[in-house]
Amino acid sequence: MDIFLQQMVNGLTIGSLYALVALGYTMVYGVMRLINFAHGDLVAFSAFIGLSVYAQIFGESVTSLGAIIVVFALSALIVAFVGVLLERLAYRPLRTAPRLSAVVSALGAGLVIQNSVMLIWGPNMKIFPSNFFPATIWEIGGIVITFTQVMILGVSSVLMVGLYFFIHQTKIGTAIRAVAIDQDAAKLMGINVGRIIMIIFIIGSALGAVAGLFIGSYYRGITFDMGWMYGLNAFVAAIMGGIGNIPGAMLGGLLLGLFNAMITGYISTQWAETFTFVLLIAILVFRPTGILGETVAEKV
Amino acid sequence: MMTKSSLIALFVLVFMGFFPLFVDSAWLAIGTTFLVFSVVALSQDIILGRAGVFHMGHAMFFGMGAYTTAILNVNFGLPILATLLPAIIVPMVFAFILVAPIIHLRGDYLLVATIGFNIIFIQVLQNDVFGLTGGPNGLFGIDVVKLFGFELSSQTHMYYMAFLLLGVTLLIIRNLDRSKFGRAMFYIHKDEIAAQSMGINIRYFKLYAFILGAGIAGAAGSMFSIQYSAVSPEAFNVTQSIMFFTIVLVGGSASLPGVLIGTFIMFVLPEMFREFETARYLVFGIAMILTMILRPRGIWPVKFGTIPDFLKKEVK
Repeated sequence: MDIFLQQMVNGLTIGSLYALVALGYTMVYGVMRLINFAHGDLVAFSAFIGLSVYAQIFGESVTSLGAIIVVFALSALIVAFVGVLLERLAYRPLRTAPRLSAVVSALGAGLVIQNSVMLIWGPNMKIFPSNFFPATIWEIGGIVITFTQVMILGVSSVLMVGLYFFIHQTKIGTAIRAVAIDQDAAKLMGINVGRIIMIIFIIGSALGAVAGLFIGSYYRGITFDMGWMYGLNAFVAAIMGGIGNIPGAMLGGLLLGLFNAMITGYISTQWAETFTFVLLIAILVFRPTGILGETVAEKV
Repeated sequence: MMTKSSLIALFVLVFMGFFPLFVDSAWLAIGTTFLVFSVVALSQDIILGRAGVFHMGHAMFFGMGAYTTAILNVNFGLPILATLLPAIIVPMVFAFILVAPIIHLRGDYLLVATIGFNIIFIQVLQNDVFGLTGGPNGLFGIDVVKLFGFELSSQTHMYYMAFLLLGVTLLIIRNLDRSKFGRAMFYIHKDEIAAQSMGINIRYFKLYAFILGAGIAGAAGSMFSIQYSAVSPEAFNVTQSIMFFTIVLVGGSASLPGVLIGTFIMFVLPEMFREFETARYLVFGIAMILTMILRPRGIWPVKFGTIPDFLKKEVK
């Protein structure tokens, strides 16, 4: 029972990280029908940027709420800027091209980001400082919960709830939903589609940046090519939930995180990826558009 | 009558045929690799370019062929020639079993499902299932091909075997283009809904393309394992699959010269620029983006009219 509850906590932690990254995939897909393969690499990039910002400004010794907020805000800002740049340079010129051309462009952009990270920070693993978050540990009935886990769960819940209300209650959110449903009709209603896409990339990249920093502080070791693995898992989460659907991405992320934790806790780590994809394919066989996905006509 | 493109094709084939006579063994190895990967890229093109099925797990079928030959030869001692047929059939069977339940999925969902198959395949190889695959190190010491007592073991022999394989593949694709299956795929690619309302069974033809592509990739895999006399999992991982996917789209989907140019760019150029090891993939990424922006349909796209050339010929 202890293992179960412990893996439950771990699973929710990983799951919220997947969910944060999955939101970036699902929003871009919802609006542009594009699998943004470079998103995972942005997440990895964020971890490195955050580490450098922390080392440059605070010298790796300071642990304070203020310092953490500055690191997160600055990294999110830089990564959001790179996200917008990515859209401008690699995706905007291809908006009228065949859909798969944009996929290749996204794969190319992923390579560019990944290898830029390698050239800047080197090919070796970098270690996050142990005092990035306080090393406080709580023990409740045999289950260990770290301060980092509480931060991850707390911050990502706030961000996800905030995003949900942003999409459903604000004017810009309504515009985003309108563009996702029908770009041409949205344009006729006076919505600036280019600007909405820019906003999507800012939000998605910033959420991915937060996830990247959390991944760094949770697992400690970061490598230039880790973005592919986290990106793929998050993308699978988005697909499970029904891609293009924001609550679906959150649900898919949490579900995948819990599932992964249970597999690694009870069965084995060697087959973890296999179980992930067997689950995905099983879901797709019975619900071809994901758990919360709606049946939409394929745009040709 | 010779058209311009068939003249170019003839020139390329003759050039490739005499290539081994004036190069050293390092170049001969690169040439052989080019031929083998061309075959895989062409088989990916049947699925992605001709039938229009989003498929990003093709290295799996390539690997199945390679591992079938390796397992049958190393573990069971079968001669290489006897492993060729199983190396073609095993990927075909798996293509049917795996893809048939999900072929109706929307494009992007199929894309991620095929990536998933490839990842599962790699985990099966790495975990040494039934003690057959040799785990992360793979299998070593694959035999040479013996034909009527001759040992076909030199680089030149390898090259011409791969050349023969490419020739057969081109022949299959030519016949495919002129057959009922090729026409059906062309119309499915052009307009799925229109094709369906004309009575074309979309699921059937997409699956047909998948199985055919898997079989050809399996044959190339067998050749690959003979060339290196060893197989290991990382030669067939998702990165390789993405490579084949990219080759088709950068070169030009459903276009023979396009796919061959794509293979040249993705496999031969990196061999020539080994000294720029670290920055290589950065340049590659930029080149991929630029190619797609400047030529969204690939470097040498196929010219699709309303009526394809191969149909006009038959109407005359």
